[in-house]
Amino acid sequence: MVAVMTWVLPSQVWGASFAATDLQVVGRAIAFMLPPPAPDAIIAIAYVAGNAASRQDADAIAALISGGLRAGRTTLRPRVIDINGLEAGGFQVVIAAAGANGPRLNAAARAARALCVTTDIEAVRSGFCAMAITSEPRVQITVNHAVAAAAGIEFVAAFRMMIQEL
Amino acid sequence: MTNLTQSRVWTWGLGLWMLSGIVQTHAQSVDYQALEQLFGEPVTTSVTGKPQRAADAPANIEIITQDDIRRSGAISIPDVLAFVTGVDVRTSGLGAQDVGIRGYNQAANPHVMVLINGRQVYMVDYGRILWESLPVQLSEIRQIEVVKGPNSALYGFDAVGGVINIITYDPLKESVNVASLGGGTQDYLTGSVVGTAKIGETAGLRLSAGGFKAHDFAPGPLNRTDTLTRQSPFAGNFNADGRWQITPQIEVFLEGSYGTMRESRPTPASLFDTEQLHQWSLRGGVNADTPIGILSLSVYRNQVSLDGLTITLPKLQPLAAYEQQSVTVIQASDLLKIGTDHTVRVGLEYRDNAATASGFGGRLADIDYAASLMWDWQIAPAVTATNAVRIDHVEVSYSGTPTGVSGLTAAKFNAVRIDAPSLNSGVVWKATDVDTFRFTLARGVQLPTLAEQGAQINPGTTSPLGFYGNPNLLPSITWNAETDYDRSLPAINSVLRTALFVQRTDAVIATDFGGPLTIVSRTVAYRQAANVGYSTAAGFEIGIRGHSPSGWRWNLSYALAETTNHTGLNAGGVIVSAQLYAHSVPEHVMVAGIGYAYEKWEADLMARWQSSFLDVRAPRTPGPLQLVSIDNYVTFNGRVGYRVTDNVTVALVAQQLTAPRLITTAGAPQERRLIASVTARF
Repeated sequence: MVAVMTWVLPSQVWGASFAATDLQVVGRAIAFMLPPPAPDAIIAIAYVAGNAASRQDADAIAALISGGLRAGRTTLRPRVIDINGLEAGGFQVVIAAAGANGPRLNAAARAARALCVTTDIEAVRSGFCAMAITSEPRVQITVNHAVAAAAGIEFVAAFRMMIQEL
Repeated sequence: MTNLTQSRVWTWGLGLWMLSGIVQTHAQSVDYQALEQLFGEPVTTSVTGKPQRAADAPANIEIITQDDIRRSGAISIPDVLAFVTGVDVRTSGLGAQDVGIRGYNQAANPHVMVLINGRQVYMVDYGRILWESLPVQLSEIRQIEVVKGPNSALYGFDAVGGVINIITYDPLKESVNVASLGGGTQDYLTGSVVGTAKIGETAGLRLSAGGFKAHDFAPGPLNRTDTLTRQSPFAGNFNADGRWQITPQIEVFLEGSYGTMRESRPTPASLFDTEQLHQWSLRGGVNADTPIGILSLSVYRNQVSLDGLTITLPKLQPLAAYEQQSVTVIQASDLLKIGTDHTVRVGLEYRDNAATASGFGGRLADIDYAASLMWDWQIAPAVTATNAVRIDHVEVSYSGTPTGVSGLTAAKFNAVRIDAPSLNSGVVWKATDVDTFRFTLARGVQLPTLAEQGAQINPGTTSPLGFYGNPNLLPSITWNAETDYDRSLPAINSVLRTALFVQRTDAVIATDFGGPLTIVSRTVAYRQAANVGYSTAAGFEIGIRGHSPSGWRWNLSYALAETTNHTGLNAGGVIVSAQLYAHSVPEHVMVAGIGYAYEKWEADLMARWQSSFLDVRAPRTPGPLQLVSIDNYVTFNGRVGYRVTDNVTVALVAQQLTAPRLITTAGAPQERRLIASVTARF
């Protein structure tokens, strides 16, 4: 019930905009995935169909990483995708634009065995997304272990010891 | 099925399960570079064995980066440490330095554990550090981690004052190629080369070599031999560090080093003597990230050949010192995160400290079996508790014929057994995004060294007195309690750090040169190492460090460390031991630094003021040591660097800028140094 209510809340409540520094942290964090992202893997930027603000936010995020998101030795190519289109899979990481966090994104990430990343810690606490990051004033990374495991996501042991897991 | 067969099945089964675990696992061990870039601050494993951000570690730790080292203009590691809050550096000459932490420092200081990438690099005779013999070039150091306070539960003995862990670049992940040449006053000449070769993405090898020679400070009233050797110190080192990632989950490493040096330095007896030695080391190991944790195995051997020791005292028979020292270590550990909130580290260690020397009448060895357990528990998002315990069991092994009048026998040595538990406990509370509190309690163990257990210098060898070790020494125990408060000041890109600590050390070990006197007859007497009471320490530290986007950087700190002496040593005003403890280290120290970088220019100025303290000096003729008051002083170091091209930098360094000569210990005065250097990076 909570999940459904959450899903229909407006994007202002579930704001998920990423700053450039946040995306830098995302790239560096996903380099610790096991196995690491494949070369030329896709990083999906999910937005809510029919939500102009969400689409605008997704486009803004994509513009910040238009040249690709560096993740260790590989570079992920961004692709803006309507949340309904996530079912087709083909991405290794999905980040949630404004309003996109919710059970449908979670289900799509799990089906695609992809890592969901957000800047909204509450979405991770609620089990809608696997990883939350903040870059200011201090880098903080929180991972919902159960959500990540359900999507088949694992991380390097040293990385796990330095983040907060729920 | 017999019990034996069952046992074999279980053993093979366990082995196969572990092997399958290794094969199916997924990643290598700690990647300092990647983690530092991710979290935007240095990462350490020196406090608990677990990778942590320095601010999150349950101990007071300072991390000195390669940028700090380079901009300091330092020509040795102790030169860098001299500007760290709470660290004391006794400089007796080029290459001859002793480092102490929080109030305890002395000639041949045994209270600090020093490691290079986890390999302990002490001399087994007195647990001292010969800094210039360390086979590492400043330009290949990624960071120096200074852990203040006892950390015996992870490292064992010697770590009672603190730990200094020197971390070099990882040749598998970081390519460092640097050549440097420098020269200056005192005929100082130095050079170093560091090169990294990578074989694909899975193997890397870093080679380094370097050294110096000089015509050091004015010797003072010395005999001719010492004058010659003392004024011409040199050191040369070579090191190879190879790493091979066999699979994404398993990494093996192999390191080797060779070095030689000659330097003059005060001995534990405060004699100012010259040592010449050669040393070798070889280390290999494997790290594997498995479903049962990060498994690590490390095996190494350090070997030192002491070729000569020249005694200062005139008209006395030189000590025919030859000495072969070795340290053989096998370490195994498993670091495992259990669930979301718990991390544990289980460690086993075998250590063989051995020396064959005329001064031992044979071969003496301490064989140490140790087991350790660390448990890190994230109680709440903002609160973490860490507890670590370690048990050391030491057995002494002696083969030889004890000499002299002390009554030592081989049986007395071989009967020695020591069991010593260590403890480290800490709570870190991140009260807000910018406020961190740290509460720690530690029980550190200082085991007696080989010389303290087994030295046999008979009367008439270097002095009318004889000097003997004592196989029945107990370990010295240090209890330390500390409260820290750190506050980030993002508005000015700075961090404020404070620390308050109290400490008590029981069963203080007096060395063979400073222990109680036994009179055998009117013409024969000797001193012997002994446990002699206790000492306390208390102190406070406050410091701020920051930088600005426009290129400025600054730091300012004050440290207070007051120690007391309840050992009975030097009772009655007759100074027989260099272990003064009270007032033997400056109680008040202020450190300040400012730097600026603009386009191709870098300029840095550092200052250190320290209050007066008491030191001891051996007289030229046999007799009690002389107490010397070292006045307070301020010293300035500066560096200006200019990037000629993208690859080449020239720099001018001035050490002790404001004083041509400065009395910093009871030894010879230190002279101002000016050094010019050119460095090429590829």
